[in-house]
Amino acid sequence: MTRAGIDIGGTFTDLIIFDEETGRIEITKTPSTPDNSAEGVINGLTKAETAISDLDFFSHGSTVGTNALIERDLPRTGLITTAGFRDVHEIRDATKEDVWDAYTDVADPYVTRRDRLEVTERIDYNGEVVTPLDEGDVREVVQVFKKRSIDTIAISLINAYVNGDHERRVQEIVEDEHPDAFVCCSHEILPEMFEHERTSTTIVNAALVPVVREYLTDLADQLESRGYENDVLAMHSGGGVMTTEAIAYYAARIANSGPTAGAIAGQYIAEQCGFDNAIGFDMGGTSVDVSLTYGGDIEMTDEWAVEYGYPIMFPSTDIKTIGAGGGSIAWIDEGGSLRVGPRSQGADPGPACYMRGGDKPTITDANVLLGWVDPDKFLGGEMDATAGPSRDVIERDVADPLDLDVTEAASAIEQIAIANMCNAVRLVSTSKGYDPRDFAIVAFGGAGPMHAAHVAREMNIPNVIVPPYPGINSALGCLLVDVEHDLSKTFVANATEEIADDLEATLAEVESEILERLRAEEIEDDQIRLEHEVKMRYAGQWRSLAVPCSLPIESVDEIRERFHEEHERVYAYSDRDATVEIYGIRVTGRGLVEKPSFPEIESGSVEGAHLGTREVYFEDAGGFIETDLYQREQLGAGATFSGPAIVEQMDSTVVVPPEASVEVEQTGNLIIEI
Amino acid sequence: MSQTDAHTDIDLDPVTFEVLRSSFTNLVDRMAEQIQRTCYSFVIYNRDFSNCLNDAEGNTVMQGSQDIAVHVGTLHYTCKETLEYFEGNINPGDVYIVNDPYLGATHINDVRIMRPVFYDDELIAVTQSNGHWADVGGPSPGSFNIEANSHFAEGLRIPPLKIWDRGEFQDDVANLLVTNMRLSEDRMGDLRAQTEATRIAEERLLELVEKYGIDTVKTAFDESKNYVERIMRERIRELPDGTWRTQDYIDGDPADEEGFVTIDVEMTIDDDEVHYDLSGSDDYIGNFLNSTYGTSFSAVIAGTKMFFPDVPLNSGMYRVVDATLPEGTVVNAPEPVPVTGSVAGAYEKVMNAIFEMWSEVLPERAMACAFNLEYLLSGGTDRRPDRDGEEFMWYDWMAGGWGGRDGLDGANATAPVFGAGLAVQSLEGQERDTPLLTSQHSIVTDSAGPGEFRGGCGVEKGGRLLECENSVISYCSDRAYSVTWGLDGGLPGVPHGVTLTRADGDPKDLGTVFSNRPIETGDQFTRPSSGGGGFGDPLERDPDAVREDVIDDYVSIERAAKDYGVVIDAIDPDLCEYEIDYEATAAKRDHIREHREGWLEEDPKSVAERYRAGELDQLDLVRRYGVILEWESGELLGRTTAQFREMLERRAVAEWR
Repeated sequence: MTRAGIDIGGTFTDLIIFDEETGRIEITKTPSTPDNSAEGVINGLTKAETAISDLDFFSHGSTVGTNALIERDLPRTGLITTAGFRDVHEIRDATKEDVWDAYTDVADPYVTRRDRLEVTERIDYNGEVVTPLDEGDVREVVQVFKKRSIDTIAISLINAYVNGDHERRVQEIVEDEHPDAFVCCSHEILPEMFEHERTSTTIVNAALVPVVREYLTDLADQLESRGYENDVLAMHSGGGVMTTEAIAYYAARIANSGPTAGAIAGQYIAEQCGFDNAIGFDMGGTSVDVSLTYGGDIEMTDEWAVEYGYPIMFPSTDIKTIGAGGGSIAWIDEGGSLRVGPRSQGADPGPACYMRGGDKPTITDANVLLGWVDPDKFLGGEMDATAGPSRDVIERDVADPLDLDVTEAASAIEQIAIANMCNAVRLVSTSKGYDPRDFAIVAFGGAGPMHAAHVAREMNIPNVIVPPYPGINSALGCLLVDVEHDLSKTFVANATEEIADDLEATLAEVESEILERLRAEEIEDDQIRLEHEVKMRYAGQWRSLAVPCSLPIESVDEIRERFHEEHERVYAYSDRDATVEIYGIRVTGRGLVEKPSFPEIESGSVEGAHLGTREVYFEDAGGFIETDLYQREQLGAGATFSGPAIVEQMDSTVVVPPEASVEVEQTGNLIIEI
Repeated sequence: MSQTDAHTDIDLDPVTFEVLRSSFTNLVDRMAEQIQRTCYSFVIYNRDFSNCLNDAEGNTVMQGSQDIAVHVGTLHYTCKETLEYFEGNINPGDVYIVNDPYLGATHINDVRIMRPVFYDDELIAVTQSNGHWADVGGPSPGSFNIEANSHFAEGLRIPPLKIWDRGEFQDDVANLLVTNMRLSEDRMGDLRAQTEATRIAEERLLELVEKYGIDTVKTAFDESKNYVERIMRERIRELPDGTWRTQDYIDGDPADEEGFVTIDVEMTIDDDEVHYDLSGSDDYIGNFLNSTYGTSFSAVIAGTKMFFPDVPLNSGMYRVVDATLPEGTVVNAPEPVPVTGSVAGAYEKVMNAIFEMWSEVLPERAMACAFNLEYLLSGGTDRRPDRDGEEFMWYDWMAGGWGGRDGLDGANATAPVFGAGLAVQSLEGQERDTPLLTSQHSIVTDSAGPGEFRGGCGVEKGGRLLECENSVISYCSDRAYSVTWGLDGGLPGVPHGVTLTRADGDPKDLGTVFSNRPIETGDQFTRPSSGGGGFGDPLERDPDAVREDVIDDYVSIERAAKDYGVVIDAIDPDLCEYEIDYEATAAKRDHIREHREGWLEEDPKSVAERYRAGELDQLDLVRRYGVILEWESGELLGRTTAQFREMLERRAVAEWR
């Protein structure tokens, strides 16, 4: 079986090919092609000398959705909502992220007020129609959108989570009057109470669909035309994969796809090396994504957002992102102080040393001047890069204004970048009560292994793990998961035996929707695993707690008892006399996917990998010092060496600071002791 | 507030200090998470709560990062008062409850639970959780009783009490408390949720003590405060010394003739300290908009903190900022003067006055006045078929506009400055729980105060009562007359106030402060929140920005001409095509420039007459003529108008010249 794992990042498209019979692992890294993502994928496969018709399995992650949201590079989107409520999207829950800073605002709504149009209709809390839908209103609204050439439309009506009839009718009319439009209804995307959260998720989904569908259709077509016969799978934020057909409809679910794939691979690698607690440190061209695994479980969240205030209510790995990647720009602010990021040169034009028109100093340019990375060896020498332009732009934009010499300027850029990265690590560790000293960093992304040891030193983190192919970690993650669908539904009732039938019927209804989705992905029934959860709370409480159950249900009493125990475990108390309320249900269905098992590497000593030495700048050492160079691919299992050292490999460069020591683990991971 | 020098010889390395400081933040934020997940009061669920870690002397070491501003600067008073009250009788396993506004708390709705933390028989800290309970008794649902002339008529006042005594739950005491509150079981739930939060914090703190040692943790307590003090002193020292003074106003004193109630704030920067003197403020008034010492001190701290957003907040700050708040004034009302509405009354006036003074000192953070906090409470018996007979409470607060800023419009539809972390509620959730059908939740066109940088837009929310019985409506707000003001030439927003339309009647303006008005099935009510005040002369606003606002209907074509002098023609609204008539705009702006000072001197009586005749509307009066009426009757408020015009002269006219 030959598997391909792909990650389409903002800067590079990464690929891992794994042939289980021969044990052959092939990795490639090719520039992403943001205007046509499929092109980058095909380029990668071509470069890996793998015939697409030989592939049995294709699974990929993508930051296409995330980047479109971050950059607001989205189609103009319209919202149809209930009369009186077009501003729900803008009022949000009204809170500010920074409650004390009156000059930092929450981001603008995704849909501007002018494109949020209302129709007369109203459904109450019980699903009863209070005001019938005025179809004339709907037709008028559609005409306005048509005139404005808006063909992405979100529909979110008040109380549609209990009764979706009006939304369905609005959708029919829109499709009738404006057949080119893509329409997305809130009762289908998220049949849950709370108008802002549901509307926000629906809008994000609607706006992303055209973006995601375009690239996915294109990708699937191109693979198919070249002889690939199976499903094209895509990683979603919750840590499973879906087929392109499903993802093209639930586009908001891949908003956190690439980073999630990376987090999964990070956890897998930490486990390989015997660490239960790990911080995933994924640094690419534009950002650092930090995830956390504690006791073997990746931290997850139900309330995820790309921008504060606009939740995407699908399950996601909890990942903190800051704008500090290899392409992040160093600049001097109005106050005359040196800043790094969050703006990035990305893949195109990229750092100055790429010589593709980038004329701003970036972190990568600083690393070139410090001797951390050899421009001649970018991407194994395939990229035409040189240090001259790095020197020029750093001199012009940083060294001269600050009256530093060019090496000092490069070092200053690096130090500020490290401080920013430490803050990102604090967000997931210290600020959640975890002591970083109990963790190992798993460093990946093209730039992660270059900076992670310095971050670890700064934060007193004892170990850094660098996987064999750090540059393609997210691509690897795509090979490690199952097909997964989940669906939640609001269901409010007191948890007594009387509602057992209702509860069971609702669970069955949602389960059949999930089964339908999995079968649509051509998953065989014996490969399907289902998990059912009931969200419960003490009557009067506002938040609920998910408790597992089976279907048919055991008994409501038993589920209720489990809730008391779970409440006791999570919140340290329970109250068996209090009324317990069911608030909603969720069904998650997994279609099992066979996972690869990677071979151990041959053991060997360090000598064969030694390439010589080079002068490399370390701030700790006070300047340039003689530093050993190693070739990663030649390092055998069990080899040990110590810093200062640079390990070069096709997809990344590992920087080992003075006084750190390194051991090569049996599957090829480097374990650095700081 | 002596520092315990005994610990200063402990070597606290920077990483340990950073980890402990972050752990304290995290410990407090975990309390927040716990409370939000387990509370019963929707008021708490929507984040009207705060948590803190106090040291053994009651000083605040750390507060929650998303805490409500109004609790800031009061939690340490409550802690100190409670420790003093129980001195000699403080034991492991104790838990205390307090809501006494006269002992440092804000209003009776804010119930504080405290747990002394012991290590080796030594009191080392107190973990404290403060939550706004949805009801604490008294005649009005939600315990906002405007008719109260003393706290006895407001609700239950709880002096320091032991609710757990050496680990024993005081069932009878708890029962006495919640029996006197609506939805007693929910109140007991809140009590337990908050108590558990303090216990989780205790556990975490003791873990830290185990790991780092008691001396290290205590040193970190002190260093956390010193750190804040040090940063704050450095920041203040960089600023010029000087004295600034301004006033803001509560609409009026029901016990007196019409006219504003003055809150006078003088600020002195002296080397590395800031001193506020509120001695020029009026005497306390005849309704519950007064505030106590603790609440006013909190306003001083919170207002100041807005100009130092990155400086962490704990007792270290209180060593640098202090305030003189004379007893008997509206900012330090003595027992038993009612103070439950203080947050909508004196509190936000102090904050906004402070914004104005700091806007001069730190112009890069300048901001005009923000909308006024408002609470609408409607409660009674739910008679919907499936809810027959349950008690309900629709207790609602809205977002509104923040003030225009130097170079930036104000933020639209944002939580009140009294607590920018206070989330507004989901109407779908409310409709499940109460017999009320929401009519709209929308931004109000023209609500933003005009300015070169306009205020943020205000919001409107209302509804119609479904099947109900024995129901009443109450409202707690302000600024129907002392309308949300602009700065540097900017103009005011819109007056606050509730409009009630009986099932068989015409709309009636009920004003901003009333309680227990009977309300029945089919009655409808609504109310706007003001937009923020404008910043800078509206005639200097970029006409394109006005046109964009017109396209989005934040500003109407009519008011674009009246407020900004920008003449816009609608070409094709379907295509968002609007054109600026530049020639007409220039003429309009000249005309306004020439006449606007004169308009503000026109005889108020004739202006009021023209309003009653329908020639002028409310916004013309507020923004163009500076005339304030009793809005329901149309009767001129002469003294109020004179004061309002004097205010406009100072904040707008002087800047136009």
